[in-house]
Amino acid sequence: PSPALPRSRARSGGGERGHEGEAEDPNSEEEEETKQAMGSKTWRELAGDLKLFLWNREERTCMGRTATSWGLILLFYFVFYTCLAGMFAFCMYVMLLTLSPYTPTYRDRVSPPGVMIRPYLHGFTIAFNVSKRSTWQPYVDSMHRFLAAYDDKVQEEKNIECVAGRYFVQGGHEGEEKKACRFKRSLLQSCSGLGDPTFGYSRGQPCVLLKMNRIIGYRPGAGVPVSVDCKVQKGNESDLRSVDFYPGNGTFDLMYYPYYGKITHVNYTSPLVAMHFTDVKRNNLVPIQCSLKGEGIINDVNNDRFLGRILFTLSIGK
Amino acid sequence: MPKPYFLLQKKSDVYSVEINGTEDLEKTEKVDEEGMYKDLKGNKKKKKTEDLKKELDLVSDAKLTFHRGLSSARAAEILARDGPNSLTPPKATPEIVKFLKQMVGGFSILLWIGAAFSWISFGIQFAQGAESPFDNLYLGVVLALVVILTGIFAYYQEAKSTNIMASFSKMIPQQALVIRDAEKKELPADQLVVGDIVEIKGGDRIPADIRLIFTQGCKVDNSSLTGESEPQSRSCDFTHENPLETRNIAFYSTTCVEGTATGIVINTGDRTIIGRIASLASGVGNGKTPIAIEIEHFVYLVAGVAISIGVLFFIISVSMRYKILDSIIFLIGIIVANVPEGLLATVTVSLSLTAKRMAKKNCLVKNLEAVETLGSTSIICSDKTGTLTQNRMTVAHLWFDDQIYSADTSEDQTTQPFDQSSQTWTALSKIVTLCNRAEFRPGQENLPVMKRVVVGDASETALLKFAEVVLGDVMDIRARNKKVAEIPFNSTNKFQLSIHETDDRNDKRFLLVMKGAPERILERCSTIMINGKEEPLDSEKAEAFQTAYMELGGMGERVLGFCHLYLPENEFPDTYPFDTDSMNFPTSNLCFVGLLSMIDPPRSTVPDAVSKCRSAGIKVIMVTGDHPITAKAIAKSVGIISATSETVEDMAKRLNVPVERVDRRQATAAVVNGMELKDMSLQQLDEVLCNHSEIVFARTSPQQKLIIVEGCQRQGAVVAVTGDGVNDSPALKKADIGIAMGIAGSDAAKNAADMVLLDDNFASIVTGVEEGRLIFDNLKKTIAYTLTKNIAELCPFLIYIIASIPMPIGTITILFIDLGTDIIPSVALAYEKAESDIMNRRPRNKSKDRLVNEQLAVYSYLHIGIMQSVGAFVTYFTVYAEQGFLPTTLLGVRVNWESNAINDFEDSYGQEWTKYQRTYLQWTGYTAFFVSITIQQVADLIIRKTRRNSIFQQGLFRNKVIWVGIFSQIGIALILTYVLLRYWFVAVPFAILIWVYDEVRKLFIRRYPGSKLVGQEHVLLKQSLSLVILLLVESFFSILIQPLLLKRPVCAIITWARPMKG
Repeated sequence: PSPALPRSRARSGGGERGHEGEAEDPNSEEEEETKQAMGSKTWRELAGDLKLFLWNREERTCMGRTATSWGLILLFYFVFYTCLAGMFAFCMYVMLLTLSPYTPTYRDRVSPPGVMIRPYLHGFTIAFNVSKRSTWQPYVDSMHRFLAAYDDKVQEEKNIECVAGRYFVQGGHEGEEKKACRFKRSLLQSCSGLGDPTFGYSRGQPCVLLKMNRIIGYRPGAGVPVSVDCKVQKGNESDLRSVDFYPGNGTFDLMYYPYYGKITHVNYTSPLVAMHFTDVKRNNLVPIQCSLKGEGIINDVNNDRFLGRILFTLSIGK
Repeated sequence: MPKPYFLLQKKSDVYSVEINGTEDLEKTEKVDEEGMYKDLKGNKKKKKTEDLKKELDLVSDAKLTFHRGLSSARAAEILARDGPNSLTPPKATPEIVKFLKQMVGGFSILLWIGAAFSWISFGIQFAQGAESPFDNLYLGVVLALVVILTGIFAYYQEAKSTNIMASFSKMIPQQALVIRDAEKKELPADQLVVGDIVEIKGGDRIPADIRLIFTQGCKVDNSSLTGESEPQSRSCDFTHENPLETRNIAFYSTTCVEGTATGIVINTGDRTIIGRIASLASGVGNGKTPIAIEIEHFVYLVAGVAISIGVLFFIISVSMRYKILDSIIFLIGIIVANVPEGLLATVTVSLSLTAKRMAKKNCLVKNLEAVETLGSTSIICSDKTGTLTQNRMTVAHLWFDDQIYSADTSEDQTTQPFDQSSQTWTALSKIVTLCNRAEFRPGQENLPVMKRVVVGDASETALLKFAEVVLGDVMDIRARNKKVAEIPFNSTNKFQLSIHETDDRNDKRFLLVMKGAPERILERCSTIMINGKEEPLDSEKAEAFQTAYMELGGMGERVLGFCHLYLPENEFPDTYPFDTDSMNFPTSNLCFVGLLSMIDPPRSTVPDAVSKCRSAGIKVIMVTGDHPITAKAIAKSVGIISATSETVEDMAKRLNVPVERVDRRQATAAVVNGMELKDMSLQQLDEVLCNHSEIVFARTSPQQKLIIVEGCQRQGAVVAVTGDGVNDSPALKKADIGIAMGIAGSDAAKNAADMVLLDDNFASIVTGVEEGRLIFDNLKKTIAYTLTKNIAELCPFLIYIIASIPMPIGTITILFIDLGTDIIPSVALAYEKAESDIMNRRPRNKSKDRLVNEQLAVYSYLHIGIMQSVGAFVTYFTVYAEQGFLPTTLLGVRVNWESNAINDFEDSYGQEWTKYQRTYLQWTGYTAFFVSITIQQVADLIIRKTRRNSIFQQGLFRNKVIWVGIFSQIGIALILTYVLLRYWFVAVPFAILIWVYDEVRKLFIRRYPGSKLVGQEHVLLKQSLSLVILLLVESFFSILIQPLLLKRPVCAIITWARPMKG
């Protein structure tokens, strides 16, 4: 072996290579280029590179693509996404075809019914000062607005009188318009706002309306009307001394059920139970729970405090 | 200038050694890389003599006080000055720091941000007294848990990886016998100081670097230091200028095999040779593995996407007048959706599965990431001895009757095929059998000859085994030809001689047999045996001998000559007293019989493995301490230098011109001598590495190995290095992947390496390469699979923010996918078979062939991911529509929907919902969304099985593990969503669409090879066209299938499973 060999090889380096070498070398050359490209650069150079990347004048490319290239790539994505959107729309259309417009396919998540109260302003605290009208007037207005649909005249005009004490089942085709039973405001008696337009708020004896959530086809109570009961929740029982319930003894009459959905049961008005808190401890926060009682009603689920019951606070000041 | 000490010793005569002055031993500075480079050029020989003189002074001083030793006081003084005789462990990063590093690396930081935001929003919500602030608390806890668990997992993996100092400290001898205060004392070896007199006997480990002053038959095993396996004798004689070569120094951590010796300690602790190597090895930087770089790149990519989308939508949601708190919660969702939480663990598991598979094939991988490194290896620097060769001398050629015969050198030879009919062979075989002191260890009769253990040196062993194979029971032949006198081989005579009685009862003559260096043997001969007849040795015959000798020598083989003489009966009667000292018998005018040449032959599997490497684009460089001729011969026989290629010297010889006039560029092969290497500049080395595809480095020192490795790395190559000695450990560490030998390798080498070859076989490396490449391909698939669903997880948030629909999927649900259903399938992809012959590809280009590239990300995110999202949204809308909320009702409802106060929320049918009922429905939606992602991920899994081939080419059932993955995926999803069977089928058309779409893509890729999906416009256009047709077909299919799936029969099954409230 000659010691001079490597050195003279160095002089003649580069240029043509043997077969194997040819295959080996493009790699390493490119690698060196990339290394240089990745090596440390000044911000100025970086900015220059960025500019060149954004618009390369020589090759007429923006971000590495020519106008045609961009056009085609965008065209591809346009076609691609249009097709996908089309397929999405189509699937949705097919899915909607399988649905009935009158009854949802499943009602397992919405039953048994929840409960809501009126007046409803923001939350579940009804607080006012008897002596200050401005504190209770919003509640009264809310009640009036809500009960407008229950005006005797409106009810008599649109709805029919039904036979009390049994479900008002209406047969016939699913799409036929269904009759709704009258629920006149006057049924609420002293809470109707007719005799006392302040619903007792001006006297510190507020009325609260309770309504059960509508569920299509739901027959509450299995033949026995669902009733309402109120008590003080986690507090002194004596804070709530008397409550009057209207109509009847605070029951939802069976004739208002079942509900057939908003397309066919156009004029349906939910039945109400009015609770007249005639004697509540003043100047105190009184937490009250009103629950439904009846067959099939669930009112003790921890997570859902509006299922078959409702919690609200009364705070009546002088 | 500090200088590392290395020596690879095989045969003392052929060594080019970095000769080191003893002053190095005195120096304590750590060896740095810079120093090593300088070392290339500057070799200080001048000072050496003085230093040796100094040392001799020290020794003569010691001889005076030899019986007394040091006084305890003096020893304590020196100990205080030099420190204990033990290796300083490298400054280790505290475990807690390593652990914390795992906690903040990769995606962890993103998830920590997510967790922190969760807790912040919990704090704010809690302070505001919101309804359910604890959701965010739990989310934060879950995110933190994910980070901590993956961190622990990663830490555990890292903790298993190499700790180089461990084995060095294990090598420290426990006790040493020291003379101090004129008394022999047993002392812990770490108490030794320079100047101590120590006594060593066979079996002991040498307690420090020792200058021997008294020896008796002492032999040391230097294999852990030099890689040399033969024990070397030690004496008090100064035999070589180089302290590493001289016989009167024994080194720390080597073993005394036999005999006894007394010596004076000249170096202790880190200043010993082994200490220097240890500090050098730990000083060599261990760069990131290629896969680690790839994963980092991938993490940056994904984190970049996550952060930019997160911030973008944070800004959008703030400007859409969402509350800051809500926007932050959105941000968390986006981050969680974007980060593939389970991926890094999956990668680790895949790698360890491959590691296990490789262990079965004798590649023990110590560092998991090294599994892939082997796959991207572009240069293998291989040892010769033991790795490419069998590591035992074997008879390769014979010359007698003026003819060269080849012998079988394979590992499992049982017969020899050459012509054995000649009378000359009979004579030659007799000499081979009788003039040999090697013996089989008893009790090995049942073992194959080649596997038996022999007592004797390498050449004699080779001859013994050769004779045993050809002739049968050698010991019996020897017994029948009783030995009457013998002169063993020595370096002055260069021959070995013995005199025997013959087993021929009629022939009372003694037979004198002799073997040795061929030219010396020939000198003693006057006749030569041809075809069984003695003929005078004329110049013609001598010429024939010379030719044969040159030819065999030129093949790099060790040649021995054999001759004999029947002593005349009248001069040497039965009772003749042979005296080997006075040589009262003739040793000249003998009859020359033949030559035998031996070589350490290549392993039979190696040529095939080398050619596989070649077709896989891997350059195999041989680095050996052997003589260039031997190295070149072996390189040629295993194909490292291919049959057709020539070195510059070969060309010069062929063209009959001086070496200087040959066009060097035409020589593909190069054999570089260690001496030449020493004089080369880095540029010159680079050019050698660059210009020649077939390179052999011969007569190199282990330190030069390090330089070669660095040279290769400068070319941008991923370098694998094999090694076995302690002195190889720096090169092993420096290499991208260090491969230590499992059988011959020292502990230090094994510790420095990333991989251990259990069978020391080069061919195993090739299987390792194959596995490594496969895992890289499969990791690509895994990542593509994992990334796809990120879009399907991300889109819900974006649409939720923009269209204000109820939340389609929850953060925890996303974690169920990422850490639940998707884990096993993505690991299953690691079992996928290769699509094409991966060993016919070039190694991947580090800077171009990334694990995750633009195409992969774009295709996963913008094609399949979007399809998945669309499919999942169809399911989402189906769930809500079937429960009463038609799609049109859902748009823009977010504020009321999420209001806790509104408990009579009206749906499209006039029914009224409480908040909790809506939330419950929303969870149903989550589940359905989850289920449809899962079902589409099954399709995704199937399409990811291949990247180019059709699934039908690859075979749907060949990888059974994929099916385990699919079933586990569906199983886990079923457990999580048992009530929701009916929504399993909504996304099925989209799953099928994904499959068909990808088959079309693969078809285009196969039909237009070389084009990338994105960027080759004509391909794109054709694909768009086929896409339209595809979607039309698909739509018709949907018409048929979807109503069926959504109709009653399915519902009837699930009514029993209607969830109960309360």
